[in-house]
Amino acid sequence: MTGPTDTLALRDLTKIFRIKTGTFRHADLRAVDDVSVSITPGRTLAVVGESGSGKTTLARLILRLIDPTQGSIRLEGTDITQMKGAALEDMRGRMQIVFQDPYDSLSPWQTVGRTVAEPLLLHENMSRQDATGPVAAMLERVGLSPEHARRYPHELSGGQAQRVGIARAMITNPALVVLDEPTSSLDMSVQSQILLLLQSLQEERNISYLFISHDLTVVRYIAHDLAVMYLGKVVESGPAAEVFASPRHPYTEALLKAAPRPDPHYKTDHVHLLGEQPSALDRAPGCPLFGRCPIAEDVCADMPQELVEIEAGHRVACWKRT
Amino acid sequence: MSALLELHGLEVEIEGLPILRGVDLEVRPGEILGVVGETGAGKSMTARSILDLLPAKARLSFDTCTFGGEDFIPARARQLARGHRIGFVPQRPRGSLNPVFRVGKQIVDTLRRLRGMTRKEAKDEALSLLRSVRITDPERVYRSYPHELSGGMCQRVCIAIALAGEPELIIADEPTTGLDVTIQAEILKLLGEVIAEHNAAGMLITHDLGVVADVCDRVAVMYAGRVINLGTTVEIYREALHPYANQLVSIASSLDSGGTPQEIPGRVPNPGDDLAACAFAPRCFRAEDDCFQEEPPLVHIEGQMAFCHHPLTSEVVSA
Repeated sequence: MTGPTDTLALRDLTKIFRIKTGTFRHADLRAVDDVSVSITPGRTLAVVGESGSGKTTLARLILRLIDPTQGSIRLEGTDITQMKGAALEDMRGRMQIVFQDPYDSLSPWQTVGRTVAEPLLLHENMSRQDATGPVAAMLERVGLSPEHARRYPHELSGGQAQRVGIARAMITNPALVVLDEPTSSLDMSVQSQILLLLQSLQEERNISYLFISHDLTVVRYIAHDLAVMYLGKVVESGPAAEVFASPRHPYTEALLKAAPRPDPHYKTDHVHLLGEQPSALDRAPGCPLFGRCPIAEDVCADMPQELVEIEAGHRVACWKRT
Repeated sequence: MSALLELHGLEVEIEGLPILRGVDLEVRPGEILGVVGETGAGKSMTARSILDLLPAKARLSFDTCTFGGEDFIPARARQLARGHRIGFVPQRPRGSLNPVFRVGKQIVDTLRRLRGMTRKEAKDEALSLLRSVRITDPERVYRSYPHELSGGMCQRVCIAIALAGEPELIIADEPTTGLDVTIQAEILKLLGEVIAEHNAAGMLITHDLGVVADVCDRVAVMYAGRVINLGTTVEIYREALHPYANQLVSIASSLDSGGTPQEIPGRVPNPGDDLAACAFAPRCFRAEDDCFQEEPPLVHIEGQMAFCHHPLTSEVVSA
């Protein structure tokens, strides 16, 4: 499943948060549970799931902003799971992130030029003078003008601010960029501009994207591969076109059918998952969907099912569908 | 068909900035009208004008406005209609319920105020309203505080409250925005069903063209404080007359089918920006000199109306 050429390879990655539930009591929240995925250069892996599925925790683990409980993270073949200090700082230039809210993620006190230069100063020990040239070129590349370097975030529109966020992420020429809902706070007409920009940058630089989203319309457009998460677990993964065309896990099926599509002749199917997503605290050992799943049987309650390959690259964790 | 709600020339100004610049729209009995647009287009302000929920500094004017055939003054809706003839489903369900009172009390209070019921009658009616929004254990929800309920459940409660006054029109402002996809689908379906069951009409404000296609009979597309295109959902999605509406739909459908979306250059104008005669002209691929100088005319073609000099239709192009 993972090869030496992968930009990113996760193996059995797990993050357990201890939550205080009383004076002497704790409960375990398995925010990310045994996740193994990989991305090859120039491809986009979309991680989709609803709130509480662990998508954002996964991104924070990969970027080494928090430490995993178990498992390993390899970036371009190097194990970065335990990396610390200066070595990690150098590695950060290879992996960057674009955030959901472009205004929140830019410092209101810094000019655009300073913000975009920062990764060069930090990770490549460049001087501010030396950074001016690359910053101007990067701003032009993302569709802004070099004059924008002197502006402050509040002078920018949402789309322009997101272009700055993209410029900052791309300036160190990273191998991996995590895109955390990069278009969900933007208007439709601007959304398509940003998606086109991300795509052309990927083609030009062979970057790998980890695209986190709950918006299946955007994912359908941009993703090569797809991993569907539910309560911290990847329940289905594979080539995006294949998963969209023939989803196998009942949760994926529900998610795809429930998503409204811009076609008045298409009626969304209101799928029959029972109730709402339960708390991830102290989950039962079986399938995370047990209790909501319309096709569950006894085995689903007690035995966790691993991801099983049912077709080339298409994996499903379901007792009934494998 | 005579309209349930008819609005002409609605203008709203806040601290000298024009927010709505002459909104025309009508909601027909039994239909769900979708109001779509990007940030700042004036969707929510239109709803708030009708509900008399505008901020204190807002100044409102209009040419004509009727509700159920009678003259209706949006700015005085508070006593006349809000809650009673017009129900409102908010965007943030949990935030719009009072956190310190049980859900049951909030519904009961609404019923007693709007329908003059006794405590006992109101309780029975509240439970039946909770059942009508497909809550399977109404007694438990009745006794719950908002924080004990999930987002989807809170939205069901808000829909129940919107129904309490037996309204003729239900206005829902982005009712599913913060909800998960699977819950969103259930709430939209519920909203459509209760509107039909109560013989009401609906006005659904959203930025999501998927949601509109799913539940709305007709769509009003707003841009820079005006409705620039209005028509049946099927017509608008097939071939919208206005280039803006047309491109918006085509972006959504090309993303949906995995195709490459067209790009609309530029950005949405902010209130107070200098606008061309047609506010969309600077971004429009069909714009000519007249679009910048003369107010766009109203064109009516095949179940659609649009304000545009160069609408996208073969008839007009060949004329």
